Amino acid sequence: MTLERRHLAIETGFRVIRVLEDNLIFVSLLAIVAFFGVISDSFLSLTTLSTLFNQLPALTVVSIGMTLVLISGGIDLSVGSVVALSAGVIGAGISLFGLPLPLAACLGILAGALAGLANGGLGAYLRLPIFIVTLGMLEVARGLAYLVTDSQTVYIGAKIQAFAIPWGGSGVSASILVALTLVVAFEFLLRSTIFGRQIVAVGSNESAAEISGIDPRRVRCTVLVISGLLAGLGGLMNAAYLGSADPNAGIGLELSAIAAAVIGGTSLMGGRGSVIGAFVGVLIVSVLQIGLAQIGITEPTKRVITGAVIILAVILDRWRA
Amino acid sequence: MTAPNPRIVAKGVCKSFAAPVLRDVGLEIPPGCIHGLVGENGAGKTTLAKIIVGLEGADAGSLLLDGQPYRPTNTADSLGAGVAICAQELSLVDDLSIAENILLHISTSSWARIRRNSTHEKAWTLLDLVGLESANSRSRVGKLSLAEKQLVEIAKTLATDAKLLVLDEPTSALTAPQAERLHGILRDKARDGVTVIYISHRLGDVLNVCDRVSVLRDGKVRLTEDCGALSEKALIREMAGADADFEAPRRSAESPAPLHLSVDGLRTSKLPHAINFNCRRGELLGIAGLAGSGRTELLNAIFGLDKRLAGSVKIHEDGRTTEVRNPRQAIRCGIGLVAEDRSRDGVFRDQTLGFNVTVAGLGRISDRTGRLVRSKEASAVGKLIDALRVRSNGVHQKMRELSGGNQQKSMLARWLHCGSRLLLLDEPTRGVDVAAKLAIHEELVRLRNSGITVIAVSSELEELQSLCDRILVLSKRVLVAEFHRSDWSQQEILAAAFSEYAREDEPTSVAVP
Ligand SMILES: Nc1ncnc2c1ncn2[C@@H]1O[C@H](COP(=O)(O)OP(=O)(O)OP(=O)(O)O)[C@@H](O)[C@H]1O
Ligand SMILES: [Mg+2]
Repeated sequence: MTLERRHLAIETGFRVIRVLEDNLIFVSLLAIVAFFGVISDSFLSLTTLSTLFNQLPALTVVSIGMTLVLISGGIDLSVGSVVALSAGVIGAGISLFGLPLPLAACLGILAGALAGLANGGLGAYLRLPIFIVTLGMLEVARGLAYLVTDSQTVYIGAKIQAFAIPWGGSGVSASILVALTLVVAFEFLLRSTIFGRQIVAVGSNESAAEISGIDPRRVRCTVLVISGLLAGLGGLMNAAYLGSADPNAGIGLELSAIAAAVIGGTSLMGGRGSVIGAFVGVLIVSVLQIGLAQIGITEPTKRVITGAVIILAVILDRWRA
Repeated sequence: MTAPNPRIVAKGVCKSFAAPVLRDVGLEIPPGCIHGLVGENGAGKTTLAKIIVGLEGADAGSLLLDGQPYRPTNTADSLGAGVAICAQELSLVDDLSIAENILLHISTSSWARIRRNSTHEKAWTLLDLVGLESANSRSRVGKLSLAEKQLVEIAKTLATDAKLLVLDEPTSALTAPQAERLHGILRDKARDGVTVIYISHRLGDVLNVCDRVSVLRDGKVRLTEDCGALSEKALIREMAGADADFEAPRRSAESPAPLHLSVDGLRTSKLPHAINFNCRRGELLGIAGLAGSGRTELLNAIFGLDKRLAGSVKIHEDGRTTEVRNPRQAIRCGIGLVAEDRSRDGVFRDQTLGFNVTVAGLGRISDRTGRLVRSKEASAVGKLIDALRVRSNGVHQKMRELSGGNQQKSMLARWLHCGSRLLLLDEPTRGVDVAAKLAIHEELVRLRNSGITVIAVSSELEELQSLCDRILVLSKRVLVAEFHRSDWSQQEILAAAFSEYAREDEPTSVAVP
């Protein structure tokens, strides 16, 4: 090999490493899929895909909202409970009050948006610490979910399941399409619109943002409303998947959403993050869950491994920066 | 070689980021010497300083401290070896008191008990030394003005009793008397054998306080010479690599222009005495005063940042009069503010240069639906950073990677991009090198000639005198005097600046038509 060709080879090598590094989470996702594909015969199958697609929508939409809130420098701990509240409103609306499904669905999403508005009003306009406000909302919304469902799982029926049932044998449902569309839409919002820039600006330096003519309170409040709204939608997706409204739905979902966002490169300090990244984070977390279950890992071990992966993701992220 | 062992020797120091910054830099400084380090914005002065205290690692080369190999990897190392830095970007903790901030730096062990009394005593002595005697060492750093914070940062550095002090633009936010006081301290330190590396863009100060000076250009030391043999002009020539144009920018004749801004009876909690003045379109108005005389507070009040207790700020444009109430509305009225504390109120560190320049005028780089158009962004930003000589690797470079002076220039670019018609500039050339400063002056005069109104605060009276059509003087938060270009003298302006401090009785406001 001539010297020149060797240089070329080395350079290409570096370039490949750079590309891998820049797309680390995609690479990690592929690696995880490949890993399970190799050690489990049943992993690369349609069953896995439909399990994945069943779990995915609610967590995805909630993670989108969480990502925006985190980038703006806030946090929303209430999303899991808001999912249950929204599902509860939908279930109670249909089963107890006999409302038509579309109306009940809108009410559920509206309940989520109102919870977000309460978070935003208190956190952004009254300047209360957003961590505490949304922690309070976590309790309030969960309590309300129990109240509207009378602490029972409310059966809704097949009508709502149409939203979540895959078409044909494809594994693709309306739920998942909506979730994917929202991922793309919000990534666009974040990268290519004025409002997206404003979110980043507020998250990276609030005082400078204010002097640059941005209203930090409005931005913070708006992202919390968006987050509540998306959690409301998550409630609809959850109810559609179960065919019923479970007041215990979404417990701990806020933590999964934060984990997905952080794995996807979002900073808890604000000012940095990506919606697509969060979606890949959701995929990593979900694939890991399904894969580990399939190869017969017990629940406690699963949790240990998932936790370790989250920490590893942050370490990698730090090392890259 | 003067002494048997120079205090610090740098040999063949190299450092590259995206592009090479330092190439084969060599320095040798004896004990008791104050050594100046000058160069254009982005020449690598801060980078060299950081290498000396272990905040950056050099790619090649070596350091010797008192003849011993010295390779710090963090500031704990360098402090242990007796080397301390006063950083260009202040590194104070806003939520701690002044004394605690100083202690944070000098405590030998993380587990040392915080002994309140002795700490406060030591802090107090140091604050007294740097001229902050009026501040309570128990008060929160977050409440201090930028100049006061800089003095705390200096006190913090002096508290270490280091034998090598690296001061990176320590006087950029200070007024001349405050800087002079620091220079006195440095001379005393030097007499005791302490070595000082003094980085500054105020070349007069450098020649005045330093024994020797080195010029950094294109990553190399171009010249190291005794200060006695040098003139400012020679330094500038070495820094720029060519003769800089000293010609004062030409200003078009003043014509009776319409009223642009009127401030009537303005009071805020920080400006207790009513302020009245007017400003005409295309006027370059300067605001002079001592540190803490309320200059920054006045600009903030006009911009609507501080809550107004009384009075009004009105913009007169196209026959309409609008009252300014808050920053967003101020911006809609065509006002832009370059704040004094760049890192707190201006820069988005982790975002790109393009983001930073366009953030106030996003409407200008988007289509009607609110969608950003990248090509517009790139071309608009590109033009501005060329015009203002912002040295960077392009619009995608992260702001935190830009040198201090270049960050400052992009703050001005932000408002030019936004199309502001009234610029409020708080120390617009702080930390900017001489050539770029002239470029900014030129740009400001050009803006003025094209009908843009500028209100500038500066601690350098010479700067105001060379730029402004009119100068207002604040003294102890009272607007005391007004001077026109045709009839001002430095003495008169200074006397006005001191006037309220000299008076005993409660001052009353003075209206300036
Ligand atoms: N972390 C970094 N990554 C990339 N480039 C950097 C980084 N830090 C500094 N630079 C670049 O190195 C050059 C020198 O920067 P430095 O801060 O040392 O300049 P300086 O001489 O102190 O300028 P100023 O007078 O403006 O403070 C600049 O062009 C800057 O953009
Ligand atoms: Mg510097």
